[in-house]
Amino acid sequence: MLSQLDKYLGKLHRDALVKPQRAALLVKDDKLLAQGPADLSSLGAAILERINVLALAIAEPLLPLTDLLIRRAAPDCRTLVPSDTETRTFLHDIPLVRKTELTTGASALLADLLGSRKGIIVEGVGIVTTGAMTPEMAYINWSSVWHAVFVKYLSDLLTTGIRSPDDELMVAALREQYRRPITLADCCVRATPPVERSEIYAQIERIGRCTVDLQLVDSAFGNISWRDGGMIYISQTGASLDELAGCIDPVPCDNSSTVGLTASSELLAHRRIYEATGARAILHGHPKFAVVLSMLCAETGCENIDCWKDCPRIRFLATTPIVPGEIGAGGLADKVAPVIGAAGTALVYGHGVFTLGREHFGEALERLVAVENWCRQEYFRRLVVRMT
Amino acid sequence: MFGWHGRLLQVDLSAGRARTESLPEEWLHHYLGGRGLAVRLFRDFFQIEPYSPEMPLLFATGPLGATAAPTAERMAVVSRSPLTRTLYDCSVGGRFAQQLKCAGFDVVQIDGRAAVPMVLAITPSGAELLPADSLWGSTVSTTIAALNGRGSVVAIGPAGEHLVPFATIVTDDGNAADRGGLGAVMGSKRLKAVVVSGAKLPEIADPARFERAHNDILRLFRAAPVLFGELGLGAYGTPTLVDLLAQRRMTPTENFCKTFFAAAANYSGPALRAACTPHKVGCCGCPVQCQKVTADGAYLPGYEALSHFGALNNIGDLTAIITAIRTCHELGLDPVSAAATLATWGEVRGAFPTAAELVPLLHDLVWRRGAGEQLCAGSRQLALAAGKPQVSMSVKGLELPAYDPRGAYGMALAYCTNNHGGCHLGAYPLAHEILRKPAPTDRFSFAGKARMIKIAEDINAAIDSLVACKFAFLGAGIEEYAELLAAVTGVDFTPERLKEIGERIYLTERWYNDVNGFSVIDDCLPERFFREAGSSGDGIEVPPLDRARFDEELQKYYRMRGLDAHGRFVDRNFLVSLPC
Repeated sequence: MLSQLDKYLGKLHRDALVKPQRAALLVKDDKLLAQGPADLSSLGAAILERINVLALAIAEPLLPLTDLLIRRAAPDCRTLVPSDTETRTFLHDIPLVRKTELTTGASALLADLLGSRKGIIVEGVGIVTTGAMTPEMAYINWSSVWHAVFVKYLSDLLTTGIRSPDDELMVAALREQYRRPITLADCCVRATPPVERSEIYAQIERIGRCTVDLQLVDSAFGNISWRDGGMIYISQTGASLDELAGCIDPVPCDNSSTVGLTASSELLAHRRIYEATGARAILHGHPKFAVVLSMLCAETGCENIDCWKDCPRIRFLATTPIVPGEIGAGGLADKVAPVIGAAGTALVYGHGVFTLGREHFGEALERLVAVENWCRQEYFRRLVVRMT
Repeated sequence: MFGWHGRLLQVDLSAGRARTESLPEEWLHHYLGGRGLAVRLFRDFFQIEPYSPEMPLLFATGPLGATAAPTAERMAVVSRSPLTRTLYDCSVGGRFAQQLKCAGFDVVQIDGRAAVPMVLAITPSGAELLPADSLWGSTVSTTIAALNGRGSVVAIGPAGEHLVPFATIVTDDGNAADRGGLGAVMGSKRLKAVVVSGAKLPEIADPARFERAHNDILRLFRAAPVLFGELGLGAYGTPTLVDLLAQRRMTPTENFCKTFFAAAANYSGPALRAACTPHKVGCCGCPVQCQKVTADGAYLPGYEALSHFGALNNIGDLTAIITAIRTCHELGLDPVSAAATLATWGEVRGAFPTAAELVPLLHDLVWRRGAGEQLCAGSRQLALAAGKPQVSMSVKGLELPAYDPRGAYGMALAYCTNNHGGCHLGAYPLAHEILRKPAPTDRFSFAGKARMIKIAEDINAAIDSLVACKFAFLGAGIEEYAELLAAVTGVDFTPERLKEIGERIYLTERWYNDVNGFSVIDDCLPERFFREAGSSGDGIEVPPLDRARFDEELQKYYRMRGLDAHGRFVDRNFLVSLPC
């Protein structure tokens, strides 16, 4: 268990998501184990005493977006409701706690909220999440809440505008942080298609690591596949893209075996895309700026309220089409496959980007990077327009 | 009262009368329904012998029943198992549970023993006993067909009548209280069947909140490949596990001597689809519909039964396997225990049964003829009688299902900590160790497994009391179901409160076991798993379990549960500490 604590605390720091020395991870085995600064560990221990879960993560994000969102919220607002698909599906909403509520008995309040939600945001503290069964779940939930917070804050800036000098400072900081486009390291791009099965696995593992290193996914999630004749090799459900060794399922295209039962929830989408395009590789990530822009619509007078699943139109960001659709069996597969062929890219409302590699993985990764780079530039262009 | 009716129907077969009692609201809030409510109701009965007329047989619905809550048209069938001698609950889905709730009862408690075979007919106005002489000796399907038109039916077959300690109670829509021998308890009461009909729907406290929670759950179902994926339970039923567990090298083969069976693909999900062209059916109120039937309406078997009549007995003949399982269904026999007992017998005699021997042996088992005299008591008694107790692959007398514990260490621990024996459903570690839900764990590691099993047991005890299907929790979570429950009942149930309730239920069962003499020596796996390796291959090493690590994790588990090193309660006044 200690090694698990080290690993996932290390990941929070490595992902550059948290302030140095401001992250703690705790596990309740038969004894309480904790890693991280004393104040956070102590608060975490008090919370863990009150709830029946295995792990807890408590960390202050590097960028203070949690505090900024709380300040932007109405005084009587008790929860944030980000509109991205991951939040809608898995988190539902994110309770928020203000500093003024953190009097004596704070741990009881936080435990009460964490008893009903996977993660909460606490002013002046950061993000606190549980891991019901594993330390990895606490890390994943922390990362998912962070993704939701990031997407909501950036969306809100464009829709409801800058509201304070703190927002202005943050915009400047974000522009500086995301000024330079993502560039692909040579090791990420392999222009030769894999032939042997071992090569397929090796390339999937390497491309998976690259998408995480380039921060093109949240919680290291997303999915990746390669079609080789009658077989689709696809990452497993819940697999971290930077740790795909042993987590790739070979799925026969004719469904002659059900070994792929543990394959990504987007197996059906991958299969449909292969059928529609004849491509060899598919990469699916959740790059933040693409997710933000996918949810912004210029349409006026539209009566549709469930745009994320019911939007009847295909919109575009440059050449990339945006379609609605729920993950898994929720219809995404039927919406993406018909539109992805032209540009080799498609965006799903509030969810993420699918890209094709017609001959090799490098193409898919290059397209994913290109979409996110374009979206970053476009986001800040629109923000400048909004500010003026 | 929302969600519950607050009514128990008590039927005394000895006296031939029935009466309705009110259930204390406090009990419903602290034990929910289903398994939990039954555990509370058994406080005065858990030491009674299983076949004693005083031993109750309960059919207990839950607060979500008949409300359109996904997968919640279920009930717990509960009594003391003649096979394990523990309290035993089976979660059973389908129309019967729905009709019972709609008849206006949360629980039916059946006591006593009829002088002659009877059928119990339940309606909203009460109960009636009907003579069943003509049905006694009939198969399950004949019995159900004879009662067609009177409502939804549960029935026993000849196995229950003959007190086979792994006899089942079968519903008219292909489900069963299949493990633990509750059919024999029903048989001991000379109760051939129960029919029920009703139309009284429980009221929902907050319909709008219910709708939101319902939608959240369905969204999670759609996002879960194991439920709605093209290879998932909805598409293939539980036989979808055949290929996966073969690939993971954890298919119990030849009475657990091996963990890989080359012919498993003969009865896999795709093989069944090709051979039987099944279509989907399932419990009412369930969007997954994991049951499969042929065009002529015959139910196709699930994973555990297929694997145990297949790999465990070294049989790869699909037709023979399906025929054997259908025979079990008709006779009212638990196919898992039956197949496991046959495999034990096979190892004892040095030859596993052939495909042709299966059906005759199953009949001999029920009518105690020839080899059936040894087979009819289950694998533990058979192995003991043969002087080879080590070849019974069981825990607390319950034959292990089709997941080899050498391939999943949480499963190894969970088989032992389960209050009613070698069952995977108490903690359902298959979810995280194999199916990667809610998150993957290292199946070849004991690290953290004691805590994971403890938490999962608590959650699953609550799930069994709602009563919801465990498969639902491969997509949704206790978080969403707590919201649903709060919406239905108007009571402030939270996930943590449900876990507290689950813990109370688990510990109460454990207390009953403690009083009945169970301890650490009963929480142990057969020695084979610690001495013999499984079938390694395809880059997967399957070593024997590490006894020291297993024991260490079991002791951790005991500490987390507040038990002593022998797995017994330190607090000898445990029941007094409960809220009610």
